[in-house]
Amino acid sequence: MATGSDQAVGMGMVALSALIFAYYTIWTVVLPFVDDDHIVHQYFLPRPYAVITPTVAGVVALSAIGSFFGYVMLQDKMKKKAK
Amino acid sequence: MTKLLQWLLGVGLLLGMWACLVWDLVPTQLTPQWKEVVWVAPMYLLMSFACYSLATIGYRVATFNDCEDAAKELQQEIEEARRDLAKKGLKFS
Repeated sequence: MATGSDQAVGMGMVALSALIFAYYTIWTVVLPFVDDDHIVHQYFLPRPYAVITPTVAGVVALSAIGSFFGYVMLQDKMKKKAK
Repeated sequence: MTKLLQWLLGVGLLLGMWACLVWDLVPTQLTPQWKEVVWVAPMYLLMSFACYSLATIGYRVATFNDCEDAAKELQQEIEEARRDLAKKGLKFS
């Protein structure tokens, strides 16, 4: 059995992914078929953001991973020089 | 044919079909609403894959078969072995 906090984090990630999936599905697949004057539309950003937001998030995530990787490599190089 | 080539071929085929539908290279009877859905389809598949990955990782973390007793026992055995070997003259870094 995984420890309590691990279980909480794991199930939290599952819940978050379900939420994101449901919201994105409604946004991209369901909304085009809903009349423009229905109140549901006020809970969703304008349609172009359905493409812009994931792209920006992806770029930010990749940059974060890349910088972390570069930082670790630099640390390793500095350590080797100090020896 | 390598797996990479197979995947690239599959992705290329899907993107080709998507491009044909979005840029009207093929005559279709799609309503404007369906056109909207098709246009966002690649991003939707990418997002679905990302959500699936996140859910799988989270689920595996939550259901990990962690045996704390076995881990402690193993640490003790390692310590015992270290002491034993050090006595017999083996040097540890």
